[in-house]
Amino acid sequence: MSTESGASGVKRRDFLKILGVTGAATAVTGCNTDHVRKLIPYVSNPDNTVPGVSNYFASTCRECATSCGILVETRDGRALKIEGNPNTELNRGALCAKGQSALQGLYNPDRFRQPMARKNGQLTAVTWDEALQLLATRLGEVRSKGQASNAVFINQHEIGSFPAVLDNWLRDYGMPAHISYDADAPAPAIAANKAVYGVAWPSLDFDAASLIVSFGADFLDGWGPSVPLQLAWADARGKVEGAPRAIYIGARRSLTGLNADSWIACRPGSELSIIQFLRGSKSAADAAAAADVSVATLEGLKKEIAGAKRSLLLAGGNGADATQVATEVAEYNKTLGNVGITIKPASPLGIYERLDVTAALYNVADRMNAGAVPVLFVRGANPVHTLPKSVKFADGLAKVGFKVSFTNVPDETTELADLILPDHHSLESWGDAEPTANTLHLQQPAMEPVFNSRATADVLIAVAKMDTALASKYTMTDYRSWLVSRFPGGQAAQMLALPKGVAAGSSLRATDRGAASDLGRKPAAAFAGAGDFHLVINPSPTLGTGSGANKPWLVELPDPVSKIAWQSWVEMHPMACKKLGLMRGDLVTIETSAGKVTLPVYNYLGIRPDTIAVSLGLGHKSQANRKYDADGDRTVPFYTGYGRYAEGVGINAVDLVGGDTDALSGAIAYTSMKAKVTKTGDNIDLITTEGSARQHSRGIGQSTTLAALVAARTKKEAGHGATEGATTTQHDATSAEGGHDLGPKEWGGNEHAFVGGAPTEFLPGLKSPVANDAQGDLGTQDSKDKGMYSEKHWSGMAKRRWAMTVDLSRCTGCSACVTACYSENNIPTVGATWQGRALSPTVWDTRPGANILKGREMAWIRLERYFEGAEDSENVFDPGFDTRFVPMMCQHCGNAPCEPVCPVYATYHSPDGLNVQVYNRCVGTRYCSNNCPYKVRYYNWFGYGEPGRRQYAFPEPMQMQLNPDVTVRGKGVMEKCTFCVQRIREAETRADLEQRPLQADEFTTACAQACPSKAITFGDAADPAWTVARQVEDERAYHVFEVLNTYTAVVYLKKINHTVEA
Amino acid sequence: MATTAKPVVGKIKRPNIPSAGIQVPAVTTFEQVDNEILATLKPSPKWFMGLGLAIAAMLVGASAWTYQIYWGLGNAGYVPPVMWGVYIITFVFWVGIGHAGTLISAILYLFRAGFRTTIYRASEAMTVFAVMTAGLFPIIHIGRPWKFFWLIPYPNWRLLFPQFKSPLLWDVFAISTYLTISTTFLYLGLIPDFAVMRDKETNPIRKRIFAMLSLGWKNTDREWRHFAKMYMFLAAFSTPLVLSVHSVVSFDFAMALTPGWHTTIFPPYFVGGAIFSGFAMVWTILIPIRKWWHLEHYVTLNHLDATAKVVLFTSIMVGCGYLSEFFIAWFSGVAPEQEYFWNRVFGQWWWSAWILLLCNMVFPLSLFSQKLRRNPTWLFILSIIINIGMWYERFVIVVPSLSHEFEPWQWTHYTPSWIDMCFLVGSFGWFFMWFLLFIKQMPVIAIAEVKEIVPPKMKNDHGGHH
Amino acid sequence: MQGVLAVFPQLDAVCDAIRDLKAKKVPKVTVYSPTIQHEIDDAIDAPTSVVRVFTLIGASLGVTFGYWVSIWSSQYWPLQVGGKAIASWIPYTIMGFEMFVMVGCLSTVAGMFINAQIPRLVTNFGYDKRFTHGDYGIWIETTPDKFADLEKTLKAHGAVEVRGER
Repeated sequence: MSTESGASGVKRRDFLKILGVTGAATAVTGCNTDHVRKLIPYVSNPDNTVPGVSNYFASTCRECATSCGILVETRDGRALKIEGNPNTELNRGALCAKGQSALQGLYNPDRFRQPMARKNGQLTAVTWDEALQLLATRLGEVRSKGQASNAVFINQHEIGSFPAVLDNWLRDYGMPAHISYDADAPAPAIAANKAVYGVAWPSLDFDAASLIVSFGADFLDGWGPSVPLQLAWADARGKVEGAPRAIYIGARRSLTGLNADSWIACRPGSELSIIQFLRGSKSAADAAAAADVSVATLEGLKKEIAGAKRSLLLAGGNGADATQVATEVAEYNKTLGNVGITIKPASPLGIYERLDVTAALYNVADRMNAGAVPVLFVRGANPVHTLPKSVKFADGLAKVGFKVSFTNVPDETTELADLILPDHHSLESWGDAEPTANTLHLQQPAMEPVFNSRATADVLIAVAKMDTALASKYTMTDYRSWLVSRFPGGQAAQMLALPKGVAAGSSLRATDRGAASDLGRKPAAAFAGAGDFHLVINPSPTLGTGSGANKPWLVELPDPVSKIAWQSWVEMHPMACKKLGLMRGDLVTIETSAGKVTLPVYNYLGIRPDTIAVSLGLGHKSQANRKYDADGDRTVPFYTGYGRYAEGVGINAVDLVGGDTDALSGAIAYTSMKAKVTKTGDNIDLITTEGSARQHSRGIGQSTTLAALVAARTKKEAGHGATEGATTTQHDATSAEGGHDLGPKEWGGNEHAFVGGAPTEFLPGLKSPVANDAQGDLGTQDSKDKGMYSEKHWSGMAKRRWAMTVDLSRCTGCSACVTACYSENNIPTVGATWQGRALSPTVWDTRPGANILKGREMAWIRLERYFEGAEDSENVFDPGFDTRFVPMMCQHCGNAPCEPVCPVYATYHSPDGLNVQVYNRCVGTRYCSNNCPYKVRYYNWFGYGEPGRRQYAFPEPMQMQLNPDVTVRGKGVMEKCTFCVQRIREAETRADLEQRPLQADEFTTACAQACPSKAITFGDAADPAWTVARQVEDERAYHVFEVLNTYTAVVYLKKINHTVEA
Repeated sequence: MATTAKPVVGKIKRPNIPSAGIQVPAVTTFEQVDNEILATLKPSPKWFMGLGLAIAAMLVGASAWTYQIYWGLGNAGYVPPVMWGVYIITFVFWVGIGHAGTLISAILYLFRAGFRTTIYRASEAMTVFAVMTAGLFPIIHIGRPWKFFWLIPYPNWRLLFPQFKSPLLWDVFAISTYLTISTTFLYLGLIPDFAVMRDKETNPIRKRIFAMLSLGWKNTDREWRHFAKMYMFLAAFSTPLVLSVHSVVSFDFAMALTPGWHTTIFPPYFVGGAIFSGFAMVWTILIPIRKWWHLEHYVTLNHLDATAKVVLFTSIMVGCGYLSEFFIAWFSGVAPEQEYFWNRVFGQWWWSAWILLLCNMVFPLSLFSQKLRRNPTWLFILSIIINIGMWYERFVIVVPSLSHEFEPWQWTHYTPSWIDMCFLVGSFGWFFMWFLLFIKQMPVIAIAEVKEIVPPKMKNDHGGHH
Repeated sequence: MQGVLAVFPQLDAVCDAIRDLKAKKVPKVTVYSPTIQHEIDDAIDAPTSVVRVFTLIGASLGVTFGYWVSIWSSQYWPLQVGGKAIASWIPYTIMGFEMFVMVGCLSTVAGMFINAQIPRLVTNFGYDKRFTHGDYGIWIETTPDKFADLEKTLKAHGAVEVRGER
């Protein structure tokens, strides 16, 4: 693969041409990004390229340190979608939203398109030769001046061979080992693990535990290796019997907290006294006083832990004493004998190997400000944005003689650099990672580089070759060959391993590595500053500390807890709001000793009344304060700040953080401030997808308890028959839930109030005689599935009934399925500043998320988050509320209300049970949406798919990501979840070509595939061989709005709440 | 025609049609009828001003439409799941207006209601133009207006036909039939008057045009005989048609699951509302006309009084409709239905609901007083109030239901945007443009029919008084 | 075409004339009146209009077409929507009804045109402007030799003007 691809990308129209007739230009290089002018069919195909058929490249995800294995789907040389690699033990085919969004890093329109150098103050494009020459000379100067030992190289933390290569290279130039920086890493836990278990990260076995206690360890919000942890959690909770009960301790109920069965709302910073009480070193009274919770609660906790067969205690948090808490908790785990059973230091994860403490950057900043740093390299990391202002990192940079950045997107740090050598995106480059002992995750390019970038490792090698002294040492042609040389078993073995993406063994053993630097720290003071509120600052589950903010999929993905997108907000308890006379959306000024920001209020049940919370991740702004034009002019090659999607969105919560660090781990003490909250009197709309946070007893997200299930079973055995059994399950659950879950009973007064309504005897639409009527003339009593067209139907498809189950006891609400759907189905993001509506014939709404304010998000699958309990939250603080996460997508009703109202047959019922939407027949009357009880139909208000319109959602080269199997919808057309019909048809065709029947569970939809909780199951409910066919018969199964007789093909399995007795 | 003929003097063999008696005592001779009615056709500065205004307003709507077609519907106020908004509201509003005309010309014809004679022409024209206006809105409303013809069952090469189970398609049929029939009705009624104008006209070109329009009508006995029969049948067809059209429109809502829409009372209550608003619009139009063109002795206070009684009746009818909606919502025991109605009247949408109740239920009660029934000024003011109220009735039906449906996660709000308002203004412009053009080209009162109720000359008494 | 045209200012005058002509069995008599007058209908005593036949035929064709187009076209593409029968005649009644009204009306109008013999191209003989204005008239199509005594009869009944056209 050559790197001589032009800086200009493909226009969407050309791209479509290529798909139509696979163009000569693509034929040669596989994915040259030049314009396609001539359209010539292949004379001979490039290797394993069949037009219209996808290739999958196994590689490694670099979006966080976890380094999950991924499969990159490419078509005609373009990466289309990222899925988890099922071959890996680590993530078993699952992938988080962040990982899937790597594509938008690859195709980010603001990526550097060539090297740039600062000439008389302006960054200007240069050729690679110039750039390398410049770098070599400046390095020469530094060395000749003997300042090499003061050089600094800051690298975004990653594992694998690269850090080693880097350290060697630095050593060869006489420079100190690099600083491996990861703003998202759970530093306190790592430090504690090292101290107590002797490893940076032991593997955690949720399955073996019967009780999980989390001291602010947000393992479902991206704390630690998120996908592996979420898988483990879901598997444990997925078992109906013997699933562990979970308790969350913390001032704010994070996503993890919402998934826990109960919440002990302690005062921020008081976790220490609680663990000390548990370990006996503090009296219950003192601890209760410190934590501001009742003694009974603490005693109860202690009793539960003592009573639990096997427990698993985790400590996260980012306070000033977080490390101390984590250490004590770890020690307590030892005392409880959990080590080796639920916590396995014997099989550690290597993902935090060689990670430097954050405080190391404080030290760098001091030295820079002292003018002691001659040259600074930065790659990937963005300290200017992620470090507190008090560290003065930006000011320091100004004093550095020569600043080189290898980052390939503009960010606050890079825009201050003198020389920018854009790195390949991870999907364009070679590499490896060793997340677990003796396992290699291989990383290979999935496509030709989109822009004129180069892998940093290759740059280093090239520069070294230019140096007479080092040339002899750097004989390898490039980084890839170096990797091959180190690969256990050499080239042959690597070629074998690449398709699988994983291999046993280690290439690091053969390499000597630099050691993590150990530098001075600042001591921390607990809760410094005046103010009447404790300030909790938490990394965003989707955006982390800010790396995701230039990827529209992530910015538009509503926060799993607050459901707010394209905006920063401050969480306050309704009681606190009432006290300050604040309404939802009122702007308040939050002031700490470090700084002040103005934010809209989101009144949140899950936070202590004396605490407020702000999440990190947004608030990118150009240091040079250069804004790009709000019209989103897609031709401008270079934006400052963090690109067009991040510019001006939200605030950076780090501005509120003082410079303090946790004395033991050198981590920034985020949650250590007091804050003053003052009302500004203004009010803005929260950019949220939430209509009502309560389900008003409509039984959308239902839950039950183990007791209720068992009761139902015994009833069934007693011979009352399935009917009562199932029914009772539901209603026992209801009673057990204090009447939160209401099925048909509470709707109609009795279940048969609606004609033909038979709520629980069968699974309507799947196996019901009534659903047979749903097929009208085409239905037949003797079809295998009563809810089917006659098997004699000419289409021959009538033997199947595609269906889906969603297990709410597994679903954590992480929203990875939403991103998967966006990338599979070409769903446009609509929140960017240029996509708003016209406020007058000439003035456009350029607020970020303007369209979301008008409820126009296009997510075919949305994550609903309903609260139950804590009704009177304005006056009483009740931590005992329950949360239901409900993924809501088109229910593919057997008896769909949307179908008969369409005047042009744009939507109808297919013989295999799909509710089909025909885009090019749709005239856009929108009646179908009016008549859809689930409100899962989405409308193209603007020409999101039309390059000529300002609302165009795929600025070049993002259009390269579009899935050629799925239409890009034009304006004025209704769209909705299709059950990934393109995948269904592909699988059926494949089976036909191979002259075999479709295997059970042979394929699945994008959401089900990505789900890191494996909560979604898709398949043919009419064929018992498929998992889904068993799932729909589950005792917990129910349909949403069953009483409407829609006979949905999506079946939900009730969430299980584990009460204390359970 | 021939409904309100004066009682026949002397005995005759043929059925003697019962008559409402002479309605216009101040009109005595055929000459007077010709002269006074044709006098209204002379353009006046007032008229030119009005026309200019109307065209300007129409252009506002037209330019808004081009803008919307280019950018998409996103600039309108829609907040999903409120997928229907001002366009559909205005559509139903105008269809409703379009009901009075045919009601007056057809149903009152069959009922031999005497007060119809002098007002039916204007209201019939109003009907035609109102339906023309309404017909635009479904096209404005859809996302791909250039594909609207897909709703018409025209033969195409794939024999791909529309979906006849969809209420929207029923609309297409109902509205197009209604437009055709009411236009035909209007034109046929005009033929004898065109003949009159032809014979009075001196300008050869205009004369030729009227000659064509009058189809060479000569007032022969043969023409009158078949004409009367035809007219009677048309009335007989139009009567169920009027009732069907708004029932079909109401099916757009009644056929849906949506709380607040899913109710069987809609057809009668829509028809009632339509007649209600239609008569209000008749006032809005006729009261100024009779004043400005001095037609008080044709459209007398008796006429206004009679129409006022119809308005009062229909107002009470829709009132009952509203109340029974609430009752059924409570009686059904369906939680979403109940919560929706509560939210409509006391929640999010209380203001619109109360505007509706005041304008349509409370103010019209004033018509119990005969003084007010015979007070044109009050009737004009009331007509405006009712028009506003009826627009809000449709708002209350469309928007609150969609904003507060089964799925709480998707509960939302709605505010019309500037472009919605442009279309609303444009629709009035379009309507009045046509109407103003009409009243200057064609007699706004049916000449031939008025002549029926004017005493004819007799041999034995000169001057023709009885 | 030849004949005698008489103009009557009064209604009863024209009625008397008609009755007299009927008594005399004078053929091809056409009566003009500015509007419908029952006295004239009564005097002429013509058979009932046949327009209703057109109405019946049109209406029945219309209703048939309405049902047929919807049923046939849904059978032609048997697509399942919302569990309704492919050809569900109850909703199709609306198509039936609307077509019933539309075709019924239009054919009635056609019937009227045919029977009343309009559109008519020439109105310049056997006609006088006054007939649309206020006066009544009688046109008797006949040969010039009969002009004289017809004129006498009509004058006798109070015709203000009688002229022979040839």
